[in-house]
Amino acid sequence: MKPLLIAWTLYARWTARFPAVRAIVPFIPVVALWAIVAESGMFPRVFFPGPLEVVRSFGTLMYKGILPDYLEDSVVRLAVGAAAGMALGIPLGVLVGLNERARAMLWPILLFFQAIGDIAWLPILLIWFGFSLTTMTIVIVYTVLFPVVLNTALGVRRVPLELHRAARSLGASRARVVWEVVLPGALPNIMTGLRNGLGYGWRALIAAEIIVGTSGIGFLMFDARRAGSVVEILLGMIVLGVLWYIVDSWVLAPIERATGQRWGLVTQ
Amino acid sequence: MLTAMPRFPRLLAMATFVAPLLVVLLLWELLIRAFNVDPRVFPDVESVARAGFETLQDGSLARHVGASLVRVAVGTVLAIVVSIPLGVAMGLSPAVSSFLTPLFRFFSVLAGIAWIPIATLWFGYGFGAITFVIFNAVFFVVTYNTLLGVASIPLPLRHAAASLGAGGWTMLTQVLLPGALPNIVTGVRTGLGFAWRGLIAAEMIATNVGLGYMLFLARDFYRTEVIVFGMIVIGILWLLIDRLLLAPLERATIERWGMVHRA
Repeated sequence: MKPLLIAWTLYARWTARFPAVRAIVPFIPVVALWAIVAESGMFPRVFFPGPLEVVRSFGTLMYKGILPDYLEDSVVRLAVGAAAGMALGIPLGVLVGLNERARAMLWPILLFFQAIGDIAWLPILLIWFGFSLTTMTIVIVYTVLFPVVLNTALGVRRVPLELHRAARSLGASRARVVWEVVLPGALPNIMTGLRNGLGYGWRALIAAEIIVGTSGIGFLMFDARRAGSVVEILLGMIVLGVLWYIVDSWVLAPIERATGQRWGLVTQ
Repeated sequence: MLTAMPRFPRLLAMATFVAPLLVVLLLWELLIRAFNVDPRVFPDVESVARAGFETLQDGSLARHVGASLVRVAVGTVLAIVVSIPLGVAMGLSPAVSSFLTPLFRFFSVLAGIAWIPIATLWFGYGFGAITFVIFNAVFFVVTYNTLLGVASIPLPLRHAAASLGAGGWTMLTQVLLPGALPNIVTGVRTGLGFAWRGLIAAEMIATNVGLGYMLFLARDFYRTEVIVFGMIVIGILWLLIDRLLLAPLERATIERWGMVHRA
């Protein structure tokens, strides 16, 4: 019991000093367990390779240049899709949030189309655009769009009416009210929408890459599946997880925290 | 000030919900006629209705929907049964839960579709692989949320209950579960959202029955009316699951137990 306690004390001290340790150390026992199970020969090696083999295949694919290329493809697709989704979604959300008539008209339509879900559009998109980049981009834009619209509308409606009136009576034009009162007030919700949208969006991307199958991490994984190479599938999953972990905790979470702290008061 | 209450408030709410969708339907029909669209590009309303009627009559719709719903139900129930006890157990100790949080975050990020390639390799094409994808979409998200929920119950509350003589069972049913419930329900809703998408994707890739397969098969024959009909079925099914089952559940738990969480 005592060495465990000492180890824990050390761990606590290090995480206090370097918060990054907290994000890495918990994975060590998991990887160790994985290695032990793989070595024990409980499952056939072909179906259950060890961590070392995955690292080796990471090296090979990096060296061949396949992994950086595919990674770039996936990230660019996601970024373009997310940007387009936001550019469409935020104005639409503001409209739905501000105008009661637009809301009554659009809300059921939005809910229904959100319910259909991105991936269900793939077959018909494939008929329209073939196995192309357009198909994938539309799927991602579609996925990101709805959470952003719905959450923006929610945030816009949460901005108290008194704030609108105060700004108006102080002589602000309608456009300025939208720009300086409504949008900042809705920002925390918009961020939540973006985060949800990206969460769904990159899942849709993986599915689209598997089905459309030209390049990207999803394609890498499914291509490996066809060749029966579990190593590359696992590598793909780890790359995806790490990538999203980085995006989520280094980009999205700080922005969300910043907007929440800066403008969060408005919405309460 | 009260406005006059309509005589059938639910009916009115339903009508205002359905009316815009009818407008979309009308627009769709008008556009198809105005531009004389090729049915291989987009079908008209009538042929979609006919396709729907046909699939109803020959029983194929019931078969596909049935297969999809059974997979979702089995995967989700299994996942919930395993993940809630696990989440509660891990959330009990602040040290353990803070140690495990990054791990579960990592895996809940991967949950769902990313497992399709390896699931099909381990379990082969069919029921096993798809149910596994649904299981892990729900499992990781619910476990992570349960863990967060239990960890976010203020320690003074647990200490107070303990000093009032609450044993393990009372503590679990009176303090821990109610306190974590809003998080658990949110987790179930998110997890099912991932699972539903995962289901459609997995069925397109890895099976010979189910809604996703129905769509993808129709694509091979350019039968857009079947595709569009399938999309409408998917939309309605998810709306029913989400609005009639998950959203009320979430609202009820947050109203009933949300206080603990916010305190």
